[in-house]
Amino acid sequence: MTVRATVEATIVAVAGEHAKALPPLTDDLPLLDSGLDSLCLAVIVARLEDGLGVDPFSTSEEAVLPVTVGEFVKLYEDAAH
Amino acid sequence: MRNVVVTGGTRGLGIAIARKLAADGYRAIAVARQQNDHFAACVQQAEATAPGSLRFAAFDLNDIAFIPKFVASLSEEFGPLHGLVNNAGLGTSGILATLADPQIERLLRLNVTSPITLTKYAVRAMMVGGAGGRIVNISSVVASTGYSGLSVYAASKAALAGFTRSLAREIGPLGITVNCVAPGFVDTDMTGGMKPAQRAQIIRRSALRRLPDAKDVAAAVAFLVSDAAGNVTGTTVTVDAGNTA
Ligand SMILES: NC(=O)c1ccc[n+]([C@@H]2O[C@H](COP(=O)([O-])OP(=O)(O)OC[C@H]3O[C@@H](n4cnc5c(N)ncnc54)[C@H](OP(=O)(O)O)[C@@H]3O)[C@@H](O)[C@H]2O)c1
Repeated sequence: MTVRATVEATIVAVAGEHAKALPPLTDDLPLLDSGLDSLCLAVIVARLEDGLGVDPFSTSEEAVLPVTVGEFVKLYEDAAH
Repeated sequence: MRNVVVTGGTRGLGIAIARKLAADGYRAIAVARQQNDHFAACVQQAEATAPGSLRFAAFDLNDIAFIPKFVASLSEEFGPLHGLVNNAGLGTSGILATLADPQIERLLRLNVTSPITLTKYAVRAMMVGGAGGRIVNISSVVASTGYSGLSVYAASKAALAGFTRSLAREIGPLGITVNCVAPGFVDTDMTGGMKPAQRAQIIRRSALRRLPDAKDVAAAVAFLVSDAAGNVTGTTVTVDAGNTA
């Protein structure tokens, strides 16, 4: 599975577990408008670290979440290389 | 076997907690800087009845930067994490005005920063598992009463109580419960320096006219870890023979 596919599958799975209705995932969809709350995002980050072996947020001094789904995916694509 | 990490699980309250959890069917993983003879004997005993139920993992909890790696190594060796009991702590006493500054730092590091950081990574491991979990923080009655000579220690134990309540709200939606156990005075290495007269005074002022022992504290922790406590979160169970009643 590509990094993009893994990230998107994880987002969909976590949204499902937390009964959040997701709009179709497009790159310009703002994360905060996706229906996911900050706890869901934390679960996604923890699962992706387990699955991809990277956590792009752990290396920064301050945890800044990206704004859109596309930026979120790109962070993982960059970190996985 | 569901895994429960017990920090400081090799002596005092911690070893009683780890043994009780092992007896209740969990794998208790005791974390400390080193093993000791009594702990080794307990492991042997546990091996005879329930192999693998009491294990040791060496780690210095002051090494906060290494906590993420340590938690990852535990998951790798033992599998998913069900519970964490933050029990290791320093009991440094002394009048604040003459307490050495590095002592203040050390106390807050081991009693506050370390368990909070360890909890962060344990919660992330529980998020991966997606099966809920249990966090139990060992606070103290001193978090809510006053005791001369224990101001910094009391601050550290009150910090855990505040941490417990807010974190319980934060991760409740994931089915992870967070609670405190507040023991009164219990005879352990930590309290060995207490003067007999002070000890007698604590007994005299306790409703039950005795001290709780490590087994009593362990029973409270085991309840909070158990499935029976699934609807108990964000609270403190006091085990002090009625000293603060
Ligand atoms: N005893 C009481 O009356 C009482 C009352 C209320 C609350 N409490 C709380 O209960 C908890 C346990 O107290 P206790 O009386 O059982 O203490 P204890 O007898 O001094 O045992 C402390 C445990 O923590 C471990 N530890 C200490 N420093 C460590 C470090 N840097 N890294 C890893 N492990 C470390 C010790 O193992 P190593 O030294 O081998 O590393 C030992 O297993 C503490 O949080 C204490 O504040 C105790």
